[in-house]
Formats: sequence, C-alpha cells, structure tokens
Amino acid sequence: MITRELLKVVDVNIPAPQYVLLKLDAGKPMKGLIPGMFYELRAPSQAGRLFKPISILEVEDHLLSFLIKVIGAGTEAFAHLKAGDGVEALGPLGNGFPSINGRRVLLVSGGAGYPPLAWLKREADEAEFCLHLHGCATADEVFPCDLLYTVDGSQGHKGLVTDSVESLISDHKIDLVLSCGPVPMLAKLTNICIQVEHYVSMEAYMACGIGVCHGCAIPVDSDYKLVCKDGPVFDATRIRWSEL
Amino acid sequence: MKYIESSLGKLKLDSCVTVASGTFGLDYLKLRDADGKLLLPQESLGAYVSKTITYELKAGNPSPRLYETECGLLNSIGLQNPGLKGFLQTDLPILKDALRIPLIVSFSGSSIDEFCEMITAMEPYQEIAGYEVNVSCPNVEKEGIAFGADPDVIHKLVASLAALTDKELIVKLSPSVTDIAQMALAAQEAGASSIALINTLWGMAIDWRTGKAMLSKKVGGYSGRGVKPVALALVYKVAQVVDIPILAMGGIHTWQDALEFIYAGASAVAVGTANFNDPGAPAKIAKGLQEHCKTNNIHIKDLIANLR
Repeated sequence: MITRELLKVVDVNIPAPQYVLLKLDAGKPMKGLIPGMFYELRAPSQAGRLFKPISILEVEDHLLSFLIKVIGAGTEAFAHLKAGDGVEALGPLGNGFPSINGRRVLLVSGGAGYPPLAWLKREADEAEFCLHLHGCATADEVFPCDLLYTVDGSQGHKGLVTDSVESLISDHKIDLVLSCGPVPMLAKLTNICIQVEHYVSMEAYMACGIGVCHGCAIPVDSDYKLVCKDGPVFDATRIRWSEL
Repeated sequence: MKYIESSLGKLKLDSCVTVASGTFGLDYLKLRDADGKLLLPQESLGAYVSKTITYELKAGNPSPRLYETECGLLNSIGLQNPGLKGFLQTDLPILKDALRIPLIVSFSGSSIDEFCEMITAMEPYQEIAGYEVNVSCPNVEKEGIAFGADPDVIHKLVASLAALTDKELIVKLSPSVTDIAQMALAAQEAGASSIALINTLWGMAIDWRTGKAMLSKKVGGYSGRGVKPVALALVYKVAQVVDIPILAMGGIHTWQDALEFIYAGASAVAVGTANFNDPGAPAKIAKGLQEHCKTNNIHIKDLIANLR
C-alpha cells in the first residue's frame, strides 16, 4: 500500500561532504521492503515543489534510512532538518532488486548509487558469495564497501569501479551482478557482463512517482518503460543504453 | 457536494473540481494517509478526465521528458498512450470498474477523419460520459496544436464530431494563439458543448553550465504555478464571448486559485500539475471550496463570472 504521510525525523547527519544521512520513523514496522525500492521525499521548506525520488539505504523495524546526495535546493533542504521535524513521504515505491538468495553476487555502486547495494550487502548471508565494489570521484564520497575505487586515487584503488569487474566475475564464478550509478558506468558494466545476469537500478527525473505522468520514461526493449513503476530495477540487457 | 455542484454543457457535476488530462490516473485514487484513509475519495471529483489517447499507440518522446523550473513544470511526454484499440480493450474496462463518477475521454487525431473514426468507435460505450477534444498538445507533430491554431479548422473538426455524438463535447484550447476567443467562438458555433482551457504554454530550460537543453525535445509544455495569471486572463477573455460553459485549468494548486477561475468565468476547474506536488490536492480544493461556500451561504454557481 502506498501512503502519503509526514514521517518524523529521528536523526540527520552529514557522513560525507555533499551527502545527508536521514533516518525517519515510519511509525510502524516496515515489512516486505526490497533493496532498490524508494520513496518520494520532500522537506517541509520545499512545499509546492516536486518530491525527490530517494532510494532506501536501510530498514530497521520502523526506521527508514536514506543517504541523499545534495545536488540542488530540493536535496539540500534535507541537510537543514533536525530530529523531530517532519518529512513528507510518498511510498514505498518501485520494484526492487531480484533475490540474492544462494547466488554468487557482485554488487557494483557508483557515487550516489550506493544505498541499495549497501542494503543488499547487509543481507549477504543469504548469498553464497557477495562482494561489494564502490567507485567514486574522490575520497569525499567514500562509504563502507569491500573494494573501493576512486578516480583520483585519493583512497582505495585508483581508477573506475568497472576496471576489474571482468576478472572478478571469472575469479569468483559470479552469476549475478547488481548495480546502481551513473549511466556511463552502468552502460560499461552491461558490456562487460554479457555472460552474467545483470540488473541495474536506474535514476530519472520524476514527478508523480506512481506511473501517472509518464515523465520518467527510459528506452527499454522496443518501447519506453517508467523508472517509477516498471523499475527502478531493470534487466540491463533490455535498456537501449545508446539513447540515454 | 451540495455547495459546489455545477455542470458542463450536458454533464451534471456533483463537484466543480475535476482533473486535467495527463496529470491523473487511478493510482491517485488508491493513495492513503497515515491512518489508512483514502487521500482522494473520488466523490470529491466532478469527473475523471483520461490521459489523451490517439488512434495509433504512441511510445512518447525520448528522455528526459521533465524539468521543474522555479515556478512550474516543463514536460515533453509526447502523448504516450496505448492507442484507441488498446484503450478500449484494456484501459476502459478498468476505468469502468473503478469509477463512480463521469468519465471524460481526452482524445486527439492527426486528421479530421481520424478524429471522427475515433469518436465513432467510442460512442457505443455507455461508460464514456463525454469527450475532451485535444487540439492543443504542444508536444506532438501531427496531432494537437496544429488543429488548435486555425478557427476554420476547429469549426470543421468540431462540426464533424458534434454530428456524431450527443454526449458532452469539450474542446480543449491552446494558449499559443493570437486570439483564443476566436477559437472558442469557432468551437461554440460548430456545436461544442463546453470549452476547456488552457493547455500548456511553450516552455524551455537550459543548463547555463553546459548549454544543454533540459528536455530531449528542447522545447516542451509549461504548466503549474507560473501559468496561472495567463490562464486566468484567457479564461476571462473566452468567458466574455461564449455562452457555453468553461472548464478552466492552469496552475490551480489551492481552493483559492480555483475560486479565482470561477470568478473569471469558469463553471468547473481542473487540477493538473498540482497533483504531482501535492497528491490528493483535488480533494483539498473541493473541500476548501465547499467550506468557503457553506460559510458564506452561497452556491458556487452564483459566483461563476461574477467578477467585480
């Protein structure tokens, strides 16, 4: 059931420059949520503007955590919230990633695409093998993971998160790759993962969040699919990457 | 809703608040609040207006299709829809099942013959209470605005359609014309039973850092708060010349906005972009209007075109 309600802020902190970690109280145990699902969120100061689609980082009983990259006024407003404030929330929305149960999984995140894969990593016990790779521009965007890549080499391996995916897939007999991040990263990963099942969580400019406005369409198969309702998780081979 | 009942030509509305085509879907009627109550009981609405359908299915425009500006929304959806056949086979039975309020189908064609073929195919369905003829979409090439900019073409099209139906026939006009009153008069003379306005304005946004347009089609339709003064003026202008009722839309976010359109000459209003900013907005607007009228012991009909 999708609800629109005011959720109380339990905690706000800045875990890295340009990121806000927001913990909200859903008021009841949140069952049945799957990594990859998201909420449309809005700080009260942004009333009258569109909600922002934000992927869930963590669910602990009645608490929902979100790791939000600040890119404009709508996302910056989250940084100014205090415990006890309300956040307008519409959700939960979207389909979520397929199960990692019994699979040999590679989780690949880039930049702000970190949250759903970090959530999956916490459920790694279900998988036969699970390795989380995270890539970002500089040490300023570093979050906990198994293998870290920074473009400028300021922390972890110097280079792109996609650099060693091919060898990791063969070394660890990976049979499922799950990813979220910038389009060039996801497109490159799709080319690398030709022999392996690969699902991506996509980002799009969004208005309604519930499949009404058709604003968040991306090219999938011979058609357009909606990131909010058909996704955000798609079989990577079905996306027409060259059109994005 | 006693104080805000109204009508559009042949259609009696239990509420003067409706929704704008393309901004609303059945999913909005399923949303709930924290207590599990429906955010938008459908009885708040006088009618449900469908997303525009075209003869052939339309995949829509490439992404990005949306961009929010300081005071409104740009879109270039491109009338993505399942086509007439897909609508009648798949969507219409679902709408029939779900709706207890009148259904108005918005449709658009690429020729007068195509418009006529579409209305003929829809006529047998009793669950369709009326039509909104979309001659004003800025985001498609053949359908839409090409028809809405010439009063002779509007007259010919509407006369052809009026001969094929006795149901409510609403003609939705574009603001992007020199004299909208002429278009409205042409529609009225040809047999339209009401006029809807405004469709979106042309709009554009560019990223000054990169010089890149924010929409894939560069230019799109502009709606939301920023268009309200334009819409009010055009509703007022049209109300001065036509006798048929006006269904007004353009940046309505609150009941006070809606009331302004009633004063300008609208018999009913449609909530569009506000649905995205405030899911459940039409219910709040209907409630606000109802309470305002009750408090002042006045009926909404007494305020139509009652501009001072």
